[in-house]
Amino acid sequence: MPLADALSFFPGLATAAAEPAEDIAALRRLAEWCGRYSPWTAPDGADGVRVEITGSAHLWGGEPALAADLMARLDRRHLAGRIAIADTLGAAWATARFAEGKSPVILPPGDCGAALAPLPVEALRLDLVTAQGLRRVGLKRVGDLSAMPRDALARRFGQIVTQRLDQAQGDLPEPLSPLGEAPTRRVRLSFAEPVADPADLLLATERLVEDLIPRLAQEGAGARRLDLGFHRVDGRVERIRLGTARPSRDQRHLTALFKERLDTIDPGLGIEDVILAAFMVEPLPPEQIGLAGHAPTNETNSIALLLDRLGNRLGLAALSRLDPRASHIPERASVYVPISVAPAKTGAQRHPAPVPGSLDPRLRGDDEIRPPRPIRLFDPPEPVEAFWLLPDDPPFRFAWRRRRHRVTRADGPERIADEWWRPEGSSAVDAIRDYYRVEDEEGRRFWLFRMGLHGHDHPPRWFVHGVFS
Amino acid sequence: MTDWRARLPELRERIRRIERPTAAVHGVLPFGIAAIDQLLPGGGLARGALHEIYGVGGDEEDGALAAAFVAGILGRLTTQKSSAGDGTVLWCLSRPDLYGPGLAAHGLDPARLVLVRAPRDTEILWALEEGLRAPGIAAVVGEVGTLAAVASRRLQLAAERSGITAFLLRRWRDGGQAARERNLPNAAVTRWRIAELPSLPTLGEPGVGHPRWRIELLRCRGGEPVCWEVEEADATGHVSLASALADRPAPPVPAQQFRLVG
Repeated sequence: MPLADALSFFPGLATAAAEPAEDIAALRRLAEWCGRYSPWTAPDGADGVRVEITGSAHLWGGEPALAADLMARLDRRHLAGRIAIADTLGAAWATARFAEGKSPVILPPGDCGAALAPLPVEALRLDLVTAQGLRRVGLKRVGDLSAMPRDALARRFGQIVTQRLDQAQGDLPEPLSPLGEAPTRRVRLSFAEPVADPADLLLATERLVEDLIPRLAQEGAGARRLDLGFHRVDGRVERIRLGTARPSRDQRHLTALFKERLDTIDPGLGIEDVILAAFMVEPLPPEQIGLAGHAPTNETNSIALLLDRLGNRLGLAALSRLDPRASHIPERASVYVPISVAPAKTGAQRHPAPVPGSLDPRLRGDDEIRPPRPIRLFDPPEPVEAFWLLPDDPPFRFAWRRRRHRVTRADGPERIADEWWRPEGSSAVDAIRDYYRVEDEEGRRFWLFRMGLHGHDHPPRWFVHGVFS
Repeated sequence: MTDWRARLPELRERIRRIERPTAAVHGVLPFGIAAIDQLLPGGGLARGALHEIYGVGGDEEDGALAAAFVAGILGRLTTQKSSAGDGTVLWCLSRPDLYGPGLAAHGLDPARLVLVRAPRDTEILWALEEGLRAPGIAAVVGEVGTLAAVASRRLQLAAERSGITAFLLRRWRDGGQAARERNLPNAAVTRWRIAELPSLPTLGEPGVGHPRWRIELLRCRGGEPVCWEVEEADATGHVSLASALADRPAPPVPAQQFRLVG
């Protein structure tokens, strides 16, 4: 009915503009809030929330108690809702929307078919056209469909009808994909009265971490990603998400990480549940963590704590190591590796070790003569405007970063061809680089290279790849 | 009458402590070159203190010389037996252009580094301060452009408290920023400026010679500003005083005399 008609029937009608995006966001928040009953929750269409309570109902004293608790909490928030608990997702969906009687409806286990039979065919989550088609041939109830030959149904109305029927009756599995990732380990703390005092929240955090540690220790695992969710009275969920550089089950360490971020939590009118979940765990063999009551003296621990503090503010990707690689392409010979990646133990390349008191490498008489390498390497190399005389000469002048340099001395060329055996490598002449170490009149030393050769399609181009000290 | 004479060394020591509290508490790291060490208070670079280093001209932006100078110091600091932990160095930078083989050539094992990339100076300063509070870190290095006096004071205090040595490697965006920031006062114990000098031609060898630096100690708490000219002698990054201290610019070499290698 158009709004104008409705208003003419009932002038005092309260109206509000539809905001589908807001509705979806609100439903999502509601689904998140349902996380207090089970980690497996997800919004269902535009008007429902699915919660997989297998294995968690007993925590609430059984399904009726759980449903009553949920009902009461929804009431308190002035949300009208119908609750159904059934063996299958399809049956719960159908009962919640189409069953007679007062909510909550709890179907006894193993009785889906009988309970569904009197419901209209729309209860099978069918689209409008299919449902109308079924009604037109006189199939109005779910029970009518069960009596029909399956292949005829499938041929006439498509696979979807039999599939939905099987799913509702539990003959076909239907996994529920949760809202986010399902946590592997989860501990929960509920308050009798909502709390808002930061000191209480800290206490709760400490308790939960304390609860989680033995579980991790039992399986010899350490947490890599953690999520601490504060469920507020008004249904919002405030979260602290943490990542650690190395798997950890150090209580002091994890508590300190949470504590640092605890002031970002807005308790609103109060918090009724706190849930700590570990989303990613990695094996961590048992180790001596130190005597109780003693400050951590282990310096490695202190560095790990530091890295986690830095990582949680700047992002773990901001922390890296310089790893040597077996490559003669300069930018591939030393790469930035995230610190969370464990270093390769054996057979790893090493940077040429500094030898105290040694001579210039060229004079040391080593078999392998290492040409000097710059201390700063630009990746990608920066193009320069260069002038040179003969094909194999270094430039006598170049301009880089708005500065002009006149070359007074130069070493080179050192020819480095691309690694043609790599998939991204190229054996083309254009990929050959001739490196020169040049010194300008101020004494600054640069690593220049020329890409491409004379007499080919592209004229050679010059780049600055690094700066020497 | 002889009484005050006996007390004189004690009083001197007390004045020394007042003047250089950090050197007295955490010790020093000598350069190993008498000409430099004898002019530094305590006979070396103070540990547990903040040191500021920058380059000259275009190197104020690239920070190559400053990085090499710090790498040489860190190489000695981290290989010393007395240094805490396993010699982890926290190096905070905004442009990830530090190159491992180049660091190794100056005596610093790149495996000791933990690189922290942060886009803003304030974040780098925060990371440095965090690093200065973590026992087990051998030293922290930060490449920063703008530095408020208060921030440098915080770093200096944190370094004094923990005994971890901090290096501020100043790296400016452009000449304008460099000119604004260069001479601003801050709480660093020393301020060094490293400039490159044209290399001296080796007899009979064309091409680029050994790097030569002019190391200027512009500011030093409890010491005098000095200036040395050094030539990098070997692959370990240890510097030695150039034999000839006269600053002679090398004559430009004609193009056909370039040495060819390989």
